[in-house]
Amino acid sequence: MPASRSLRPLALAAIAGALTLGAVGCANAVKGASGSFRPRTPNTLTVATAQIPDPGFWAGTFAHPTGGFEYGLAKQLAARLHLARVKVVEVPFHELVRGHLGGADLALSDITITDERAQHLDFSTSYLRAPPSIVVRPGTEVADVNAARDLHWAVQHDTTLKVALERSIEPTTQTLVFEHQREVLVALEVGRANAVMLDLPVALAYAYQSPHKYAVAAQLQSEAQLGVALPQGSDNVEAVDSAIRALKAEGEIDRLGHRWLHANIEEGAAEDVPVLRAEE
Amino acid sequence: MLALIELSSPKGAPWEFLVVFAVLLLGPVLFRRAGIPGIIGLLVGGYAIGPHGLSLIGAGNSTLPDLGQLGLLYLMFVAGVELDLNLINKYRRSTISFGILTFAIPFVLGALVGFALGWETLAAILLGSLLASHTLITYPAVKEAGLASDPAVATAVGSTVLTDTLALIVLAGVAGSVAGGRSSVEVAAQVAVGLVVLIGYSLFVLPQLAGWAFRWLGTERAVRYVVAITAFLSAATVAELFGIEGIVGAFFAGLGMNRLVPNEGQLMDRIEFFGGAVFIPVFLVSVGFILNPSVMVKGETLGLAGLFIVACLGGKAIAAQISARLFGFSRSQAGLLFSLSAAQAAATLAATVIGFQLGLFSSAVVNAVLVLIFVSVLASTIVGTRASARASSPDGPRPLGTRIVVGLGEPELALGALTLARRIARADGGVVHPLLVVPEAAPFAPREALARLSEVVAAAGVDGQALTIVDRSVLHGALRVGRAQEATLVLVAEPVPDDDAQSTATPLAAGAPQRAWERSPAPPVAVVCGNADRLGVVRVRLDDDELESPSIAAEMARRVASGSAQRLDEDHAEWSELLAPGDVTFVSSELGDTLGKLPGVGDGLVVSTVAEWLIREESARDTPPEVPGDATLG
Repeated sequence: MPASRSLRPLALAAIAGALTLGAVGCANAVKGASGSFRPRTPNTLTVATAQIPDPGFWAGTFAHPTGGFEYGLAKQLAARLHLARVKVVEVPFHELVRGHLGGADLALSDITITDERAQHLDFSTSYLRAPPSIVVRPGTEVADVNAARDLHWAVQHDTTLKVALERSIEPTTQTLVFEHQREVLVALEVGRANAVMLDLPVALAYAYQSPHKYAVAAQLQSEAQLGVALPQGSDNVEAVDSAIRALKAEGEIDRLGHRWLHANIEEGAAEDVPVLRAEE
Repeated sequence: MLALIELSSPKGAPWEFLVVFAVLLLGPVLFRRAGIPGIIGLLVGGYAIGPHGLSLIGAGNSTLPDLGQLGLLYLMFVAGVELDLNLINKYRRSTISFGILTFAIPFVLGALVGFALGWETLAAILLGSLLASHTLITYPAVKEAGLASDPAVATAVGSTVLTDTLALIVLAGVAGSVAGGRSSVEVAAQVAVGLVVLIGYSLFVLPQLAGWAFRWLGTERAVRYVVAITAFLSAATVAELFGIEGIVGAFFAGLGMNRLVPNEGQLMDRIEFFGGAVFIPVFLVSVGFILNPSVMVKGETLGLAGLFIVACLGGKAIAAQISARLFGFSRSQAGLLFSLSAAQAAATLAATVIGFQLGLFSSAVVNAVLVLIFVSVLASTIVGTRASARASSPDGPRPLGTRIVVGLGEPELALGALTLARRIARADGGVVHPLLVVPEAAPFAPREALARLSEVVAAAGVDGQALTIVDRSVLHGALRVGRAQEATLVLVAEPVPDDDAQSTATPLAAGAPQRAWERSPAPPVAVVCGNADRLGVVRVRLDDDELESPSIAAEMARRVASGSAQRLDEDHAEWSELLAPGDVTFVSSELGDTLGKLPGVGDGLVVSTVAEWLIREESARDTPPEVPGDATLG
């Protein structure tokens, strides 16, 4: 057998090896397999949110958050992104959805992913299903859309909930619109409104925490989902996206849901809450 | 009037399905017309309707990803069920060697690339494994060129089992490590136990359950199809119980069902039809859904793609060259090895998508892998076309059970013959076509006859196309259709003869033809006398000449018995008295012994080969104006 033929595999191996190493050398700017994260403050994940405390989602204060689903998620994200600390900053919700994160790396504030908001923000893959739900005082019944229509409603300004209320329920009376979620709930408590619209996980958390004040009467059929919001054009989207997927795969999101929201929202298992179908 | 009409923007499930099916319809067609593989059209179509394209289906939609997940399981099931296990067995030495090389070299190169880029260990290992697998994209073209039984082609096809299984095992280990958050020892133990259970279920329990279902539930074709779907979904579920990815279960389910679903059978036809028309394309569209060209054209993505291409295609080329030298393959055969093992699609996509879902890979990696898939498909197609043109087509014999025609006059009396045929075909992964022969003088009612035939066929668990023909005899009709269908064996079901026509022993044909099925222009023919729905003891009764050389009777007996059959010698003159219900004895016989002189078989079966000279004589009578193969097929 000619020597050249016998050496061909070795030559091919050498070429492939050289090309591989050469290409690796040329591509030293390539990021990690799951993307890389560059925090604004070294070794710190800065998170913007609109409200603390926010039952189920944030506990404590802005200076000293102590728990909640989104705080737990922030800590898990920081760990996966190899950052030692989590710093929380307060930014009004209407500012957040317009892309102003107050210098934070990302926002975790019950933000529903929508095309309109995606014009100002980049979103990660979703971390929680969040169909709109109807919260009432215990004892108030909402049998169907017609019954819901005649209730006195309150809702937060600049939210997908307001849109859902107007499109799906079409209240017959003037809806009270507030800047903050807590004002909406106060309106319900004091009787200015007898129904409010909240994201289902938020509603369940409120009802769990204060069952004598709030009851979740129904949920609307919706594919609404919550996501991590990042400044538009951020180079960190890939890394956050990969981290959320990993947390889902590891079951961490489910564990946080069970611990803080007392429900398996991800699987859509809030089955004891009836679905109110809007009239076509 | 127009003011009364209120149109709303399209939304909901009908709109989403319309958009997806429009891509399935137009994507491949348009791209093929431009000379680009149709698979790319589906990927691009998925991108076009997705959140990074026209956003016709939003990012939060779960319908398309769910359908895509089903399509992925389907794809892996088809990959397992289509493999030709006989060829793999025949060339097992070269198959194992090449399988190890074509897995190990790209795996090591891929993992080295991952480590060199500073990736996590799990991500680097997963990268290595996804580059090490391959998909037989060029196999249909190679098969079309008549090279399916070429040793190099058989070697490459067989190695798919090894590479994909190893890749999927690595994937299972990696996924288990990520999802469980446990130590590697715990994960390894769980994966090992899970694989043992999964293999046991898929390769042993599932075929039994499916075989039972085909016989007792499978009176309708739709039911058989649903049984197949249920089978791979059950295996996927078993896999996921142990934290192993569902695609591993689907692939093993395909291997387990391989013998039950012959490649030429109607069930496979349906599996391929629905898979090719809907499920697998939907998976590819769902992959395109996550495509992001703005990321794809970035330097990072292109750099990654370049590395993947060098590691994958370089590794596959080295493995092909080494194997060609080891087994004395020609240059064109080395090209075939490379062509068949280089193309990346199913397993690569599966591992990549799962790596993405687990958060190990960013979308840049996914997009780089898609570039690799595109380049590998092009490279393997070009190399495969050239190698196929240079390679000479092997002209070897087809296995005896590849395609069996069972001629029968009375469907109810042919259950034994069909059961035998199923066993013989199953050993070769072949198909059985039942043929109802209606005498020329008899009134012919095709619908009623076919209805009766389909009931018996379902009870026998046979999957081929039921045919009818009007002819002067069952033997003659079966022979004609056998030739027209290029059958490898023709069985003729005969009712038990009257007692006065029996002989006490069957004189065996002197000088029986040696390996007649390999050189006769007409297929070998055997007559099955008797009826039974279950087979018992398998015996063979041959003369001295046949004992020393392979014969059709011995070959059939070996397949039916799944090994060597019990041999009867001259001392067993009254051998027919040994027949218990369902027992079957294979004998060789000349015309006089076959037609009318068989011993009383009671509830047993006697399979008697028909002499080659008789087949030739019968065939000669088919000369014009009676043209062979002009059967009126129902």
